[in-house]
Amino acid sequence: METVEYILAYITPYLAVIILIGGLIYRLRNWFQKPPVTAHLSLYPRPESRLGRIADALVDMFTMRSVFRVNRLLWAGGFIMHVGLLLLFLGHIRTVTDFYFLWDLLGWGEEETHTFSAIAGMTAGLLFFIPLIYLFLRRWGGTIKVLSTPEDYFALVLLASIAITGLHMRLVLEVDQQAIREFMQGLFKFSWQPVPESAGVVFIWHFTLVQILMIYFPFGKLLHTVGAGLNKMVMRS
Amino acid sequence: MLNQFVETMRDRFNRPIQYYADICVRCGSCADACHFYTVSQDPAHIPAQRMVLIKQALEASKAGNNKLADWYHELPHNDAVLAAQLEKALWDCTGCRRCAVFCPFDLDTGLLVGTARYAILKEGIGPEIIAEIGDSEVAKGEIIEFVKDFFLEQVSELEAQLQAEFHPDLTIPVGKEGADMLYVPLVGEHAIIPAAKIFFAAGENWTLSMFTATNHSYFVGDGAKSKQAAQWIVDEAKRLGVKAIVYPECGHASRTLFNYFESWFGDEIAGIERLNIVPLTYEYLKQGRIKIKPNLFDTPMTFHDSCSLGRSSGMYDEPRALIHAVATDFREMTPNRELNWCCGGGGGLIAAADEKFERRMEGGLPKVQQIRQTEAKWVVTACENCKAQLEDLNKHYELNIEIKGVIDLIADALIV
Repeated sequence: METVEYILAYITPYLAVIILIGGLIYRLRNWFQKPPVTAHLSLYPRPESRLGRIADALVDMFTMRSVFRVNRLLWAGGFIMHVGLLLLFLGHIRTVTDFYFLWDLLGWGEEETHTFSAIAGMTAGLLFFIPLIYLFLRRWGGTIKVLSTPEDYFALVLLASIAITGLHMRLVLEVDQQAIREFMQGLFKFSWQPVPESAGVVFIWHFTLVQILMIYFPFGKLLHTVGAGLNKMVMRS
Repeated sequence: MLNQFVETMRDRFNRPIQYYADICVRCGSCADACHFYTVSQDPAHIPAQRMVLIKQALEASKAGNNKLADWYHELPHNDAVLAAQLEKALWDCTGCRRCAVFCPFDLDTGLLVGTARYAILKEGIGPEIIAEIGDSEVAKGEIIEFVKDFFLEQVSELEAQLQAEFHPDLTIPVGKEGADMLYVPLVGEHAIIPAAKIFFAAGENWTLSMFTATNHSYFVGDGAKSKQAAQWIVDEAKRLGVKAIVYPECGHASRTLFNYFESWFGDEIAGIERLNIVPLTYEYLKQGRIKIKPNLFDTPMTFHDSCSLGRSSGMYDEPRALIHAVATDFREMTPNRELNWCCGGGGGLIAAADEKFERRMEGGLPKVQQIRQTEAKWVVTACENCKAQLEDLNKHYELNIEIKGVIDLIADALIV
């Protein structure tokens, strides 16, 4: 068991990063090697100026306007989930470093930041997790069931598992933030620190699932993170 | 089976189609956007499912012995079933791109279907008649000398008729060098008559093209032939030295003109403006070059946004302004503009005639409901394809409406 933990904590993270970056480069190259469409595929109405079209694409992307127009419930689920994900992404910066300047600015001590991160982390985690349940359940009936492929379920289960293990550490366990930060920094600096014990085996689960996500990311539909904006500009050419 | 489809399709994957294949999350937003799916509830009609089926065909061709991978890629157990689903997915689509408006990533199923139609025709799956009409348009340029006399004769007959009915000074010049505008008609005189009247009233120095604007190769995604059919028109425009090419009330043809000509012909058409007769007529009206009897029609009427002219070319305001100029009882359909329902006859389905009749009548149902809601007596539109479909819907569902072109209204209201 210890060997497995050792591999998952100190070896596979590097592989995951390499596959993530290499995979992204591979996929982007694959996209740009394909011939572009020289015809205008614009959908109208569209802004006249190029800058206006970029702004339009960004607004469309960050508000998910298209889905809002056709399915409010799906929009709510998708939008809240993505907001939660964004907040979680920002919050996890604290596992490597900290927003020292921000706490200084607010005049917060250790206790205040701790309380804040507990509340913010829980909120973001639930904003992410609860819509995922809805997005998962809706695939089991009607139109969307026929349309769904195994990958769709896989992606949702993977994200939900990451959310559950993360929420477990946030809500059930009393996790030593500093130990996690040292462990993570150790990985970056190649001077390895012990796996934070306060989070127990859940930490390894969480950490491993994220590695699976990083490996899967460039090869699946989650690549819409990158591709959506590119395609939106094609459709405003 | 499906080998030729797969090979051709692989070659034709371009950047937006690759994006589609890679990033579609199958959220299902597009399902309710599609007139065919909302009516039939057939999974093959879900826009995103069209890509799923194509991917299944591509994956099946390289399937190994890995059962887990095969399951993950949902490999079809039966090629014949997949082929039947693909036939529906690719031919029961009007390329209206309403689904792209509702897609969070703007993925273009219309582009995908056009591209894949070309590939599936290699398997002999689909109404080949569409491609055949396209071929005849391409061939027309080679035989134009033989049909020229017949065409000129017909035009002069029409000219005589209009001189008697409309104005004795009206002319329909064909192949006139030094003309400013080259008007490209459709098959049949109905597209020439209102345009000739408007050009005459505006005192325009125009000439009629010997070719037709329709481009059926475009429906089957055949870029090379599509370009060739358009090449005759460009050559004619350059030979006559015109300043502008004017396309008639035809959606997909105007789409080739607005969206494809520049990439097909580049410098060849530099300095030649590309116009549609509807916005041009509106220009004439704004500049006072034509005079009309205002508020001539009090019949309740509504306007149908053609998908190619609306969503794909941005022609929303000009037809409405023209209708408002002559009509007192105009009613918008809901939804309209970029959210307007397709008539159900686009994408070449009209050309497939009987083969697609039932499907067209089914796909036209959302449109029928929209028209009924307005309680309009006239349905005005600026697309030949929509007009033909609306005529069929009118008969089939006994709507008791009349179908009119936008420029028909203006031509009837002209003061000369």
